[in-house]
Amino acid sequence: MHEPKSERGLTFKSYFVCAWFVILSVLGVVLPEGPKSLIIHIMALCIFAMAYDISLGYTALCSLGHAVFFGMGAYIFVYSILKGSLGFLLSLLLSLVGGLTVGILVGLISVRLTEAYFVIVTAVIYSIFHLLALNLTWLTGGDDGISVEIPGYNLGVFYLSVYNKSVNYYLVLLVFMATYLFLDILTRSKLGRVLVAIRENEKRASFLGYNVFHYKLSSFAVSAAFSALAGGIYALSLRYASADFFSFHWSILPVVWCLIGGLGTLYGSWIGVSLMYLFQYYVSSWWHFYLLIFGVLILFILRYSKGGIVGYIMERL
Amino acid sequence: MTQAASDLVFLVINGLIWGLIVALIAIGLTLIFGVMGIVNMAHGDLYMVGAVVSYYVSKFLDNFWLSLLLGPLLALGLAVPLERIIVRPYAGNPSGSMIATVGLSFIIQQLALAIYGGVPNKIPDPMEASILLFGLSYPTYRIFVAMVSLTILGALWLFLYRTSLGILIRATMQDREMASAMGINTGRILIITFAIGTVLAVLGGVLAAPIRQVFYLMGNDVVLLCFIVVIIGGLGSLKGTFITSLLLCSLEGLLSGFLPPVLARAVTFGLMVVILLWKPRGIYGD
Repeated sequence: MHEPKSERGLTFKSYFVCAWFVILSVLGVVLPEGPKSLIIHIMALCIFAMAYDISLGYTALCSLGHAVFFGMGAYIFVYSILKGSLGFLLSLLLSLVGGLTVGILVGLISVRLTEAYFVIVTAVIYSIFHLLALNLTWLTGGDDGISVEIPGYNLGVFYLSVYNKSVNYYLVLLVFMATYLFLDILTRSKLGRVLVAIRENEKRASFLGYNVFHYKLSSFAVSAAFSALAGGIYALSLRYASADFFSFHWSILPVVWCLIGGLGTLYGSWIGVSLMYLFQYYVSSWWHFYLLIFGVLILFILRYSKGGIVGYIMERL
Repeated sequence: MTQAASDLVFLVINGLIWGLIVALIAIGLTLIFGVMGIVNMAHGDLYMVGAVVSYYVSKFLDNFWLSLLLGPLLALGLAVPLERIIVRPYAGNPSGSMIATVGLSFIIQQLALAIYGGVPNKIPDPMEASILLFGLSYPTYRIFVAMVSLTILGALWLFLYRTSLGILIRATMQDREMASAMGINTGRILIITFAIGTVLAVLGGVLAAPIRQVFYLMGNDVVLLCFIVVIIGGLGSLKGTFITSLLLCSLEGLLSGFLPPVLARAVTFGLMVVILLWKPRGIYGD
């Protein structure tokens, strides 16, 4: 909710984003294999977080169903390589388009409902898809999942394969940057301004003559499309997809990321993703009941983070 | 009656009795939403707590019936701090309350995993008898469950519609601000409502324990079913919730005779989508 109002806020935003991009580009050269895949995962999840921010941060559509789009994107990616024998770039594009389609379908059911119905219905949709993913093992492979071998592109002098860690790293970085630039332009366009107007006062926006349903649906669909792209990227980096991609974590984590970083900022969620990823990486390895801490964390963050970390910084600029 | 027909009757009665338990839980959910504006994701886990209590009581005290008393007492003890500390700040904020109760749900589940363990257990049938129903031998305990559920729901109806406290609760349900302006202590009403909802969920768990397996994630399935019921019946509508839970559970019971449970659930989900497209606020919603 903290738009950079002042000149200094804007400068902070551009410095932060530039620094983040530069650091990530440099890290790709310096880091050894292990930490590199850690950063790859974080970047993939950042795409997911930004996509979710469009829905919750910019339009106040609190969806608990985004795991559906994430998992769908992953499976579309895996299947377009396995059955369609497409290259990975085309498969990623298919994930995006597939996510957009599913997003529109789910949005048509849910977006025009009131707030309480919307959260519940998205949660129900998530549960049904998770149940189906767990049980239709012939399609999804269940918890074991489906592995995929990703063919590369032969560019004559250079064989572009994601099995080369650096290629994988810079591919994800490129998609991540492109997603940010696209969504940043989108949120500063007329569409983005109307979405913010709907978030602030839905009734007033509709009195001003905006078709609230269409705007909410577009926001939801864009959010779903990029969540699916994130799912595809994640499947590309892990080279497999499983029913776990539909699990509740992937529905609740985006909320937590955006709340930690600051709603409606796009780049704020990157901080949320990084902190939560490191938290999960370290805590889940030493304590079996780390979900307990996660639950407490959700309660605390929801209660005490007004504008997230970015909001905190903005107030002091 | 032919074998096929009596099988069908058996399935429907099973579904109907399960529907009465679900009605207890779902009515708690819808009451809490109606009065407080809170969507309680942890409601299914309170049901699980009830089942776990009845497992421990039957194991250590060797008497299942005591859990019908101890369960609600524990629920009352839980409800007050939960309402004050976790739920109250989100009154009237459905999305916020949903996320907060997701956190609560994780906490309850992990505590249950730590204390109770991750292995599903079965409780022996406390009545170990069966009666003849439509030419079928049917476990007496299930009939008893149906009677108890109906009694509790009847008592709740009497409480809400025939006592002065019930009138205050319904007034708060209609318009909290106005009720508060009329001098009703709405803070107290919120606590009472949350306590009623919690007790109903825990009682549902206690009653269901001998029928279902006691497992620390058993609440997830029930909360999903309750959400579908509440969405179809209309959020905040007690009548709609009651009727829908009976109809939906009988339908699922019937379908489970022909389809795997996942597909039966998918059919009810499809039904929910169709009804939402037709009536975005459920059948009995305002």
